Amino acid sequence: MALLIEARDLTKKYGAHVALDRANLKIEAGRIVGLIGPNGAGKTTALRAILGLTSYEGQLTVLGREPLRQRTSLMQDACFIADVAVLPAWLRVDQAIDFVAAVHPRFRRDRATGFLAKTQILGHRRMRELSKGMKTQVHLALTMAIDAKLFVLDEPTLGLDILARRTFYDALVNDYMDETRTILITTHQVEEVENLLTDLIFIDKGRIVLDSSLEDVATRFVAVAVAADRLDAGRAAKPFYERQILGKSELYFENADREKLAPFGELRTPSVADLFVAKLSGGAA
Amino acid sequence: MNTNMWLIRREFWENRAIWLLPAVFGAMLIVAALFGHVQLPALTSPNEIHTFGAAFLVAFGLMFYTVMSVYATWYLLDCLYADRKDRSILFWKSLPISDTDTVISKLIVALIVIPVVSFVAADITALLAAFIVSIRLRASIGSTLWQPDVWLQMQVLWIYTVVTAAIWYLPVAGWLMLVSAWAKRAVILWSFLPPLVLYIIERWFLGTNVVGRVISRRLTGLPAVALNTSGGTSWHVDGDTLTLPSSVFHFINPSGFFASPQVWIGAAVGVALIIAAIQLRMRRSEI
Repeated sequence: MALLIEARDLTKKYGAHVALDRANLKIEAGRIVGLIGPNGAGKTTALRAILGLTSYEGQLTVLGREPLRQRTSLMQDACFIADVAVLPAWLRVDQAIDFVAAVHPRFRRDRATGFLAKTQILGHRRMRELSKGMKTQVHLALTMAIDAKLFVLDEPTLGLDILARRTFYDALVNDYMDETRTILITTHQVEEVENLLTDLIFIDKGRIVLDSSLEDVATRFVAVAVAADRLDAGRAAKPFYERQILGKSELYFENADREKLAPFGELRTPSVADLFVAKLSGGAA
Repeated sequence: MNTNMWLIRREFWENRAIWLLPAVFGAMLIVAALFGHVQLPALTSPNEIHTFGAAFLVAFGLMFYTVMSVYATWYLLDCLYADRKDRSILFWKSLPISDTDTVISKLIVALIVIPVVSFVAADITALLAAFIVSIRLRASIGSTLWQPDVWLQMQVLWIYTVVTAAIWYLPVAGWLMLVSAWAKRAVILWSFLPPLVLYIIERWFLGTNVVGRVISRRLTGLPAVALNTSGGTSWHVDGDTLTLPSSVFHFINPSGFFASPQVWIGAAVGVALIIAAIQLRMRRSEI
């Protein structure tokens, strides 16, 4: 499978602060990848570098291009929504469609207008007159009408209510996603995208702490609920994280033999959110 | 090419003052012509009539050009800053448009589009005002304002002014755009603070005034370089004499302008500043 994004030792410093610390990434075509990390972990910096919006150290190739130097040609095959509130306040909906249609060779106007026809949004409205949810719909209509190979979303639902969020993700999955496209999405609300993703990348303090497909996650990681009397035996098997839940201890293991763990208690595959917490606090413990 | 046309169109959408400001200013002048006190002097010699007709049109051109120059200065300071401030740059940068095209389109708007708009507005307003004044005074003297040859000559002067000013003010525009692409806040302050500090340091430590002279000559020196101000026709009024060249072709001085080293040194500095602004635009997305 062709690599869509490849980063080697990707580093970005803001003065003394290191936002990205020799991060390595490989993203294949046709995947929905979640780039997940706490606030300030370097998610947005990584995306800015991938989209050619910022300078960086290290090697980075996106769709065969060097993003900062070749952003113009990269944007013919990639599109992005960097949080929802960035459509300029003075722009009218019909102007936005006219403009993108004129400058983007892969924009399909009928798709954008078709998407907007299903909403309450009128063409002569200015962005400042629209609610945040409506602005999101306009931005989605504009972006999803582009036949892009890579679609990058940075905290796309920040500040949206639950209804607008659901609409957003439904549209993304139903109207947009197919096997020719790759979506890279960052969020710190893991639960929201959990069912969508095919791949997971955890990032913390500028470093990649996990890069795995969801199928691999199921074989690599296991959580065991251990009763108090067997806790010492369980701990001897070297879990990388432990937490107390309903009077039991849940131990998290990576690359462990499930048959050996079975006697300690009930096994389950951790959810993305559980794994996120385990991975990020496990390193510190 | 098509992309560049749309980029300029985009500037009209965002900056409605480009046409609203001359429209409002023109309307004010028309109201003044309609209801204000109008009086035409008694002119006798063809020389005086010619001069007065030209002065009438030049006055309109100058008024609009001055107002729009102030606006163009503000436009240049704001044009690479506003979208970083409201983060809409993240939308514009998601489109396959190069930073070079973006910066050049804004430069063209400031140096070509805004001056052309102001002269077109000046012409339209002058024609309407001449029409109103002629009717109000019901006098043959109104014909002073209707001299087709003068009117056509003014168009030559406008075009010449647009071209020479665009080249002359290139370093000023380049500096303003650099500030606009660089500053995190207070673009107006940053536009004059560094030159001012340089000026003060030079005066303080060296006792010379090279920076001050270079800047003031750049800001005010265009007429001296681009125009031929000697000789011409005169209009005597209240003991004063207004002298205007008898023909615009004596007035403009293209050979002098284009042969002046100041012009080309300034243009080279301007190009360097604009290239720097483009580089900054590539690397700075948000504030």
